[in-house]
Amino acid sequence: MMNAITPVVTEDSIALGLPIDVSIENVVKAFDDTPALHGVSLDVKAGELVALLGPSGSGKTTLLRILAGLDAPTSGRVLFDGSDALGLPVQDRNIGFVFQHYALFRHMTVFDNIAFGLTVRPRASRPPKAEIRKRVLHLLDLVQLGGLEKRYPAQLSGGQRQRVALARALAIEPRVLLLDEPFGALDAQVRKDLRRWLREIHDRTGHTTFFVTHDQEEALELADRVVVMSKGRIEQVGTADEIYDQPASPFVFSFIGESSLLPVTLVDGQIQLDGRPVGLAAPQGQSGTATLGFRPHDIAIVQDGGPAISGQIIAERRHGARRRLELHVGAEAHRAEIDVPADQGRQIGSQVAFRPNHWRIFPA
Amino acid sequence: MAMSDAAFTRERLPGAAAVHFRPVTIERRRVRVGLIVVSLVFLAVFLLLPVVAVFVEALRGGPKAFMDAIFEPDAAAAIRLTLLVAAIAVPCNLVFGLAASWAIAKFDFRGKSLLNTLIDLPFSVSPVISGLIYILMFGSHSLLGPILKSYGIQVIFAVPGIVLATIFVTFPFVARELIPLMEEQGQGDEEAALSLGASGWQVFFRVTLPNVKWALLYGVLLCNARAMGEFGAVSVVSGHIRGLTNTMPLHVEILYNEYNFAAAFAVASLLALLALFTLIVKSVLEWRYADEIAATRRH
Repeated sequence: MMNAITPVVTEDSIALGLPIDVSIENVVKAFDDTPALHGVSLDVKAGELVALLGPSGSGKTTLLRILAGLDAPTSGRVLFDGSDALGLPVQDRNIGFVFQHYALFRHMTVFDNIAFGLTVRPRASRPPKAEIRKRVLHLLDLVQLGGLEKRYPAQLSGGQRQRVALARALAIEPRVLLLDEPFGALDAQVRKDLRRWLREIHDRTGHTTFFVTHDQEEALELADRVVVMSKGRIEQVGTADEIYDQPASPFVFSFIGESSLLPVTLVDGQIQLDGRPVGLAAPQGQSGTATLGFRPHDIAIVQDGGPAISGQIIAERRHGARRRLELHVGAEAHRAEIDVPADQGRQIGSQVAFRPNHWRIFPA
Repeated sequence: MAMSDAAFTRERLPGAAAVHFRPVTIERRRVRVGLIVVSLVFLAVFLLLPVVAVFVEALRGGPKAFMDAIFEPDAAAAIRLTLLVAAIAVPCNLVFGLAASWAIAKFDFRGKSLLNTLIDLPFSVSPVISGLIYILMFGSHSLLGPILKSYGIQVIFAVPGIVLATIFVTFPFVARELIPLMEEQGQGDEEAALSLGASGWQVFFRVTLPNVKWALLYGVLLCNARAMGEFGAVSVVSGHIRGLTNTMPLHVEILYNEYNFAAAFAVASLLALLALFTLIVKSVLEWRYADEIAATRRH
């Protein structure tokens, strides 16, 4: 049932306010004197789908809640289409927020959940009953839940609840859509379907959308731009290609994709490990200590005794089509991982030498 | 196929048939029967028998004597007073309990754990002490008593004192039902409602209150049962003035001390009926709305 989720294309699309630009300027948030956000700035264009990606504790959810008005920043500004949004209470900010655990009203039917944002409006701006009904049923079709309007949340599967939560957020015609770990509580197959489906909904409705995730695959696949966060700071903002191919920091390099990082020194245009050259050229004009980063699958084994990185194999395991070796490298036994063909099993404790085909140097 | 496999296995392992498997969490039959018998005997001796005794004693003199005992003016006054006290104390504690639970479950503030502890105070303090507190506060030798008296307000040995003592004793019932549930439910629903544009009162009446309505109803039922049955605290502040400040439990005691057993048990049987009624209402509600109650737990 969940395998073929595609939006129903209908004539009357969901009525929308025009999508808006969102500017975050130097936002700081301190909880009991421990900063959760250290001066975060970000500009998002109208209609963009942006992922806030980072490990737990990176401040991504805090940033999302500040945008929604559920938390207030200690300092900084948030602008919706150039005008201050922080002065608006959460009710007047007109954002659609989808909570991690959906926060569906358990004593209300699916219909009443979706209609809630419309029925709480003051009488003057509340649509007539028939209009509300029409809009709710239309949204139910949009999220592929037509016919379930009389169910209670407890009678729905996780994926269905998620879609009700999205329909409820869309019902108020939000200016910005915010999703907190939207697929966090779902199993892998449902996640993949909903991910594609969310992208299609976004393309149809055109909201400026932020979603928080700790799943890099989700972020890279779904978002126009990915904002990588760590310890309350933005590490890098870019497209999936930029984040993957030109990581701005060792953190981004290690957080996105598989990677090994080794401390090295740059001497005379050479990269050295423990004072010995490893056969890689240092970037022009750089010297001193640095961090060398490479991908485990992107290396070549060196057997001619030439300059290379060598390490002792401390473990090996099957990794997809390849075999992954875990190494202790250098005098200080830094951990590194490399991949070799699956049929090239090696003795634990033996030495292996390799050079990365592609690598990055991050100055210390 | 499976059958023949099993037979084959049994043939090969003749010892296996002798082993008697049972789920590890199910006790042996003897143990189960023993536990059930012990529980039933205990319930019968300590709960059922006394309740039956109350009704038997109440009806010993026949229905006429029973009716006379209840409609005798002092008894009728006691019943009216008990209903009045409950009618004031229960709504007060409904509001106070809801406010306290709301504050404790949904907000972080200094002194939160102190407030949480204070709510339990009436449970841990002897009811007699609860009554004495009000004598000390409002009695004729207290600071407040004479001042209030000069305005013509009598608290002790009058209805206001009885109401105050009852509120004090029954305060925890509503709050204790609500706090764990509200803490478990968290603030997610409220945040969602706010983000959808609901005002504070709309959030309260359309989201928070419906989420806790069953727990609130239980709390009110228990609170009411205790408010009508409270003896100790009320006894201290009431003054036992017949027809004026006697509640039903106090009236039962007076009748009993006068060796008027039939009348005492007649009034007591009314209190017992109230308790049974409360239990029945609670059970009926649980049975009737089981689905909805289950749905208000976290899904």
